[in-house]
Amino acid sequence: MSKVIEEIHAAARQLLEDGKVDVVIGFEKGTLPLKATPCFIRSPQEVEKLIWDETCDNNLANYVRQIKGKKAIVAKGCDTRALVVLMQENQVAREDLYILGVSCNGVINRKKIEAETGEILSAELAEGKISVQGMNGSKEFAFADVKDDTCQSCRYPNPVLEDAHFGDKVETGNQEVPFADVVAMEEKSLLERRAYFQEEMAKCIRCYACRNACPMCYCNECFVDCNSPKWLTGGVDPAENMMFQVGRSLHLAGRCVDCGACVRACPQGVDIRALSRKVTKDCLTMYRHEAGVTLEDPPALNQFSTEDPQGFLVKE
Amino acid sequence: MGQNPYLPITMKVVKNQIETEDRNIKTLVLEFLNKQDEENFKYMPGQFAEISAFGHGEAPFGIATSPTEPGILKFSIAKVGCVSKALHLIEEGATVGVRGPMGNYYPIEQFKGKNVVIIGGGFAFTTLRSLATYMLDEKHRGDYGDITVIYGARNPGLLLYKEELAEWEKNPNINLVTTIDKPVDGWNGRVGFVPAVTEEVVKTSVDTYAVVCGPPAMIKFTLPVLEKLNFPPERIITSLEMRMKCGLGICGRCNIGPKYVCKDGPVFSMAELKELPPEY
Amino acid sequence: MKISKDKWGQVFDALASDYQMLAPKEDKGEVNFKRVNCFSEVKQGYLNTKLPAKALFFPQHETLFTYQKEGQGITVKNALKVEKTIAFGVRPCDARAFLLLDKVFNNDQYRDPYYCDRRDTTLVIGLACSQVAPTCFCSQMGLSPVSTAGTDLLFIDLGEAYAVEAVTEKGKEFVAKLQGLEELNAEDQVKLETLKNLQTSSSVDISALTEKLDSMFDHPYWDSLHEKCLGCNACTFSCPTCHCFDITEEFRKTEGNRVRSWDSCMAPLFTKHGSGHNPREDKKARWRQRMMHKFNYFVHNNGDIACVGCGRCLKACPVNMDLRQVIDAVNKAELVVK
Repeated sequence: MSKVIEEIHAAARQLLEDGKVDVVIGFEKGTLPLKATPCFIRSPQEVEKLIWDETCDNNLANYVRQIKGKKAIVAKGCDTRALVVLMQENQVAREDLYILGVSCNGVINRKKIEAETGEILSAELAEGKISVQGMNGSKEFAFADVKDDTCQSCRYPNPVLEDAHFGDKVETGNQEVPFADVVAMEEKSLLERRAYFQEEMAKCIRCYACRNACPMCYCNECFVDCNSPKWLTGGVDPAENMMFQVGRSLHLAGRCVDCGACVRACPQGVDIRALSRKVTKDCLTMYRHEAGVTLEDPPALNQFSTEDPQGFLVKE
Repeated sequence: MGQNPYLPITMKVVKNQIETEDRNIKTLVLEFLNKQDEENFKYMPGQFAEISAFGHGEAPFGIATSPTEPGILKFSIAKVGCVSKALHLIEEGATVGVRGPMGNYYPIEQFKGKNVVIIGGGFAFTTLRSLATYMLDEKHRGDYGDITVIYGARNPGLLLYKEELAEWEKNPNINLVTTIDKPVDGWNGRVGFVPAVTEEVVKTSVDTYAVVCGPPAMIKFTLPVLEKLNFPPERIITSLEMRMKCGLGICGRCNIGPKYVCKDGPVFSMAELKELPPEY
Repeated sequence: MKISKDKWGQVFDALASDYQMLAPKEDKGEVNFKRVNCFSEVKQGYLNTKLPAKALFFPQHETLFTYQKEGQGITVKNALKVEKTIAFGVRPCDARAFLLLDKVFNNDQYRDPYYCDRRDTTLVIGLACSQVAPTCFCSQMGLSPVSTAGTDLLFIDLGEAYAVEAVTEKGKEFVAKLQGLEELNAEDQVKLETLKNLQTSSSVDISALTEKLDSMFDHPYWDSLHEKCLGCNACTFSCPTCHCFDITEEFRKTEGNRVRSWDSCMAPLFTKHGSGHNPREDKKARWRQRMMHKFNYFVHNNGDIACVGCGRCLKACPVNMDLRQVIDAVNKAELVVK
């Protein structure tokens, strides 16, 4: 067992024994190869269940609103950003959280592996390599190749807010072009973009796994469920699906922390980030703001400065 | 409903009137457009229909008329959402869709030769009107023993079907007791909550059925009164509300345990409810 | 009897001019039932379709009827259109699910024509599995990777040919008219024997499940089960036996559609009354409903467990809720003696 995991166990055990928290929200081994699953540890005896590795792909910040009382949470960089936004939006109190921050090298996207090996029968994680036996054959992957796309362009691998730290700090390589994927999409013609999104939206089955996996989507009544006005009727054609995805991306403007939980949750492999990344880039460009990086910096759409672009308000 | 139980028949709105003083409940009177539709719509007290406000949606409502009142159907609608609001606003002469009759009905066969106590609260009186009207009809009255109706509302303005109530007051074939929660100027009737009035009025459960419909709080406090009088659970009948869509027991929405309220209900005896999980 | 894949391809292509042919087709790495025009479009060598075959008779979104406003009157028009169809390549798990759905859409009081008419005019040609995944558990659910239940005829892949087994009257009629059938030779027989012995190996045990659940409505197990569940629709939409749907309206000026679309009991607002009251207000109640409906209520109503062991739900779940684990936990749960 790695040193990091032992340290997490020790910290969790101490917190529960001291009564500092009622529950530790973390990951345990799942029932499928290369899949971790969220777990809620409430007694010191159970902390041994906790794991930490590249299979821990959910954003656990999603659970802090539903768990009352004091909780510890295992959080990667992106997860801590989500926690910051939730705090800024008064959805969770800082004093109720004990953040077990972990530096993260990225998580595996199982779909990338399954695209080549078929359903995964067994796998072994070793130094930067993953050996997989699948139903359609075996293959050895370099971790870098099957890292989730979010992690490929991650700029916050280290927690931005934490009460304890685990794991060696990760250096972010200098990205030549931040948001290169968005730039590439922007450079496509309108027709090309339309064709791309038509194709992606045709895949969506409106299971709302993306919305429910997102820590930022916590409305009591989501606009898709609203009856008056009835924004969406439940049809699954590309037009309605697009309305849902675009609507959600806009509702996340200035709030999305780009953790990729939505993409990994999607059973259909829809490219959801294509839209939210664009909105995130626009927020950075227009408002010089990135969600959840510092507690002191409120969400972009919650504050106003005279330097904000105002073409729509004031005749320039 | 024939071949396709999802297709509504169309009916004409002949009356759309305010039923309660707070304007929260309106009563729609619908007319069959042809004899065939009426013949296909044979119903019994306790059943409901799904009413379509075209352009808005469909919702289930208890049928307030009795089959002894031919040519029309009456529904009382509380304004709670999209469809009910549209029905509140609908003009006389307009068209609505109706699918039905659906659900089971009050066990009137079992009531034959027995006394029946009908206990209703507030808005829940719709299908109870149907039941009382049916039993009072000269063709049926002889089948039943004493008929007592205990009907309470928060204040006089919130009582439904005031015209019928006035008629029943004068009718020797039915013992009507209306009550309101707190004294109000101009009200000379009883004052008291329905459970308390039930205790005063109902003397025995021998050879008697109790039919209880009302808000959860009213039912919660009326049941112990009935149990004290030794009404067995088989002779306490109620009608449940549930969110419904298809009304056919197919879409899976309205179940309590293995029973679908739209198809196996909405009328249940307390004995049947005791077998079901407390999830309603 | 068997038919070579070449000959079957010819038959298939000829049938396509008379029937709507629905078969598994690959699109950007995902295999799903789609309309195909020739056998070459049909995917070979796959485990199962991503979305279940229930979509053949119960599409995710369909128009029930259309209506027109004319003055104060309204005319309603049935939108159901059925064409004679052949569904090829339905796996035994999905086919068995049809038999379960048949009981829902044609219940003791009502017949749903949208599902039933499609079902009646479709010939279901099942395709037995040649391999099973570790997430499959159909054998533990009372069927097998080669069972015929729910199909009209079953094809078993022998490599160069399909063994053909007629199951229903409809299937027998079809086989009687099938050109190119040959006898199985000794080698075929051996292959067939091996394939027919294919089973899923899983420790799922449903023998006492329904009865156990009879006493478990108030059990504390439900308190912890639901915690990590996201409450999305991924499991229900992937499930071959889930049948919940919503009915809504699409309306423009003077005309509109009444439509139905898949819904899920896992959705928070599924049972919310107009009054605001919600009998299943929390995730705990909804997960309990899911288990009770599939493994208890459905048994009491229809005599069968509403699960065919296809494993799609646990593969689709973003947080790895695993039905097999839940079944196991229910079996092991200690009943609280009152």
